[in-house]
Amino acid sequence: MQGALWGPAEWRNNMVMSVQRGPKNRLRRAAMWAAMAIIMLLFFLSVYGAFIGPKRAKELFNSTVLGVYWVAFALLLMVGVVLFRRLLRVPALLLVHAGCILILAGAIWGSEAGRSLQKTLLGIDIVPTGQMQIHEGYSDNRVILEDNEIHELPFYIKLKDFRVEYYEPGHLYIQTRQGDTAWELPVEIGAELQLDPGFGAVEILRVFENFRITIDGDNRTAVDEPGTGINAALEVRIKTPDGRVSTRYVFDRSRGHIYPDSPLYMSYERVIRDYVSELQVIRNGRVVAEKDIEVNHPLHFGGYHFYQHSYDAQAAEYTVLMVSPDSGLASVYSGFLVLCIGAFWHFWLKRPPKVAMPQSAQTRSAEPDQEANKWKSNTQSRAY
Amino acid sequence: MEIKYTIQGLLIYITIAAYLLALFVSLLRRPRAGHVLYVLGFVVAVVSFGYRWYHVRHVPMQNLFEVFLGLGMIYPVSVFCRRVLRIGGRSADMLIGAVVLVPAGFFFDAEPQKLPPALQSWLFAPHVAVYMISYVFMAKAASHAIWQLAGRSPIDDENLLPPEEATYKLICIGFPLLTLGLILGSVWGKLAWGDYWGWDPKELWSLASWLVYVGYLHYRYMFGKRHPRVNSVWAIAGVVVIVVTLLWVNLSRLFAGLHSYGAG
Ligand code: HEM
Repeated sequence: MQGALWGPAEWRNNMVMSVQRGPKNRLRRAAMWAAMAIIMLLFFLSVYGAFIGPKRAKELFNSTVLGVYWVAFALLLMVGVVLFRRLLRVPALLLVHAGCILILAGAIWGSEAGRSLQKTLLGIDIVPTGQMQIHEGYSDNRVILEDNEIHELPFYIKLKDFRVEYYEPGHLYIQTRQGDTAWELPVEIGAELQLDPGFGAVEILRVFENFRITIDGDNRTAVDEPGTGINAALEVRIKTPDGRVSTRYVFDRSRGHIYPDSPLYMSYERVIRDYVSELQVIRNGRVVAEKDIEVNHPLHFGGYHFYQHSYDAQAAEYTVLMVSPDSGLASVYSGFLVLCIGAFWHFWLKRPPKVAMPQSAQTRSAEPDQEANKWKSNTQSRAY
Repeated sequence: MEIKYTIQGLLIYITIAAYLLALFVSLLRRPRAGHVLYVLGFVVAVVSFGYRWYHVRHVPMQNLFEVFLGLGMIYPVSVFCRRVLRIGGRSADMLIGAVVLVPAGFFFDAEPQKLPPALQSWLFAPHVAVYMISYVFMAKAASHAIWQLAGRSPIDDENLLPPEEATYKLICIGFPLLTLGLILGSVWGKLAWGDYWGWDPKELWSLASWLVYVGYLHYRYMFGKRHPRVNSVWAIAGVVVIVVTLLWVNLSRLFAGLHSYGAG
C-alpha cells in the first residue's frame, strides 16, 4: 500500500472492472451487479416506506419476503468478502463490509422472526417490546404488547416515585381578546407587568403546584397540595386603568378558565424539561438494581432496556415504561463501530495524492495484491 | 415566507447579500474582490451563529433554523478543499452558503425553543453537526458534477482537479460523515425511544440518501471514469435525496394523508 494515492480507491480511478474472461471473473462481475441491485432495491424500498408511514413501513420491512431479502443481503456481503480477496486484505474495506454484516445479523437476530427462531432453536423466551404501567409504590412484571397480549418478566420493577420536571421559570402569558397584542411575564411571586395603556397592570401573587379549593361553609379557599396531583396555577392580581382591582386564577393552557367579561386572556405556560421515574429491580424479594430513569437515560437490566415512555398526566401517580429486549443489539452496535472505523479509515486516513493521475502504473506495481490487479485489469479509461 | 425584523434576521440577510455579491463579483472575473466579500460574509455568518448561541444558551443545533444557520459558515470548507484537496469551485461555495441561509432567513421559525426531553441528549448536537458538514461536502460534490455534465472545468487554477475527480474526492470526504451521522442518529433513537430503527420517514430518507452514495461508490468502482456522466448523475441524485430528507416533514404536507410523521 505504499505510494497509495488518495486511498486504495484512488489509484483505481482510471482502472475499471475487468474485461477479462474466465469463470471466476464472471462470478465477480455477477456478484458486483447483484450488490448494485440489492443496494438500489433497498433504496427504492426505503423511499416507498417513507411514503406509507412508520407503522406500515415496519410491517413491510418485517414481512417474510423482506426477511428473505435481508438474509440474501447478508449472504451477498459474505460472498463478496470471499470472492474479492481485496475485501479481506485491505483492512478498511473488510471493516466496512463486515460492519454491514454485523448490523444485518444483529438486526435479523433481534427481529420478531429472529426471536421466534431463538425460542425454537435455543429455548430462549424473550419478552418482545411492550409497555409496563406501574403506580407509585407498586411493583410489576407484566409487559403489555401492542396487541394487548401480556408477557411476564423474570423479575419485578418497582416505581418508588415519579415526577415531572419543568423549565424554570414558567411564564404568565397574556393576550388581548382580539389576539393582536400579547405579553409574557416570567413567573415569580411579586413579579409585576405594566401592560399597554388601557389594560392596566398585572402582578403574580401566588404560585400553585397543585391547585385545590377547600370549601368551609360559604368560604372557598385556594390551597396548594403539592405531591398529590398536577394542577399548576397562578394567583394574579389585575389593576385596570380606572383603578379597579381583581384577582384571578390562571391555569395552564389546556385547562384554561374563561373569564368572559375580561378583555384579557391569560394562561400559565410551563415547558416540560424531563420525566423522572425512580425504579428498583426486585428479584426473589431482593432489590438487585436501582436507577432513576429519564428520557434518554434508560435502565438496562437482564437483557432489557426500560425507557421512560409516558406518564399519568392527571396526577403524576403512575409511569409508563417501554420495555425492549436487547437481543442482537451488541452485534448491531459493534457493526456500527466497525463500519464507521472502516469508512473513515478507507476514505480519510490515506495520504492525499501528490501528483495527478497518470501515476497509477507505478502504484500498481507497488501493490502486493496480484489478484487485485488481475481483476482490475489495465483498461485505461479515457480522461474526458 | 416571513421576513425577520430582528438582529438575527439582519445578520442573516447581510451574510446572504455578501455571499451573493461575492459570487457576482467573482463571475465578473474579480476573484480577489470576490474573495474579500466572501470572507466578510463568513465573518458575519460566524457572528450570527455566535449571537444565536448566546441568545438560546445551548449549542444552536436544535432545530432546522439553527442547522441552516450553522451551514452558512461555509468558508473553511472552501479553504480546506483548495489547500488540501486541490478542489476549486469557490463560487459554488458562495452560492451554497447563500442558498443554505435562505430557509433560515425566510422560512424557518427562529423563536428560541426550550428543548423537549427527547432532544436533551449529548448525541443530538454531534448527530446534527456531522450531518451538516457532510451535506456541505455532498452539495459541493454535486456542483462539480454539474460542471462535469456541462463540460466545464474550473478555469482559475491549472493545479486543481478536473470536476469528475473532484466530485469523487468530495464524496469520499462526505461519505464517512454521512455514515457517522446515520449511526449517531440511530444510537440516539435507541436512547430516546428504545429502538435504534423506527422505520420513520425521516430515517428511511436518510438511509436512502446514504444508499445512493453506496451505489455511487460501487458503480465508480465497477466502471471508473468510463461513464463520467453517469457518475455525475449519481452525485446529483444524492443531493436531491438529501434535500428531500431535510425537507420531508414540510414537503410531506403535499402528500397529505399518506403518512404520519413521528407517529409510533
Ligand atoms: C450496504 C452495503 C455495502 C456498503 C456500505 C459497502 C461499502 C463499500 C465501500 C465504501 C467501498 C469502497 C468504495 C471505494 O473505494 O470507492 C466498497 C467497495 C467494494 N464493495 Fe462494497 N459495500 C456494500 C455492499 C457490498 C456488497 C453486497 C458487495 C458484494 C459483492 C460489495 C463488494 C464490494 C467490492 C468488491 C468493493 C471494491 C473493493 C476494492 O476497492 O477493491 N459491497 N464497498
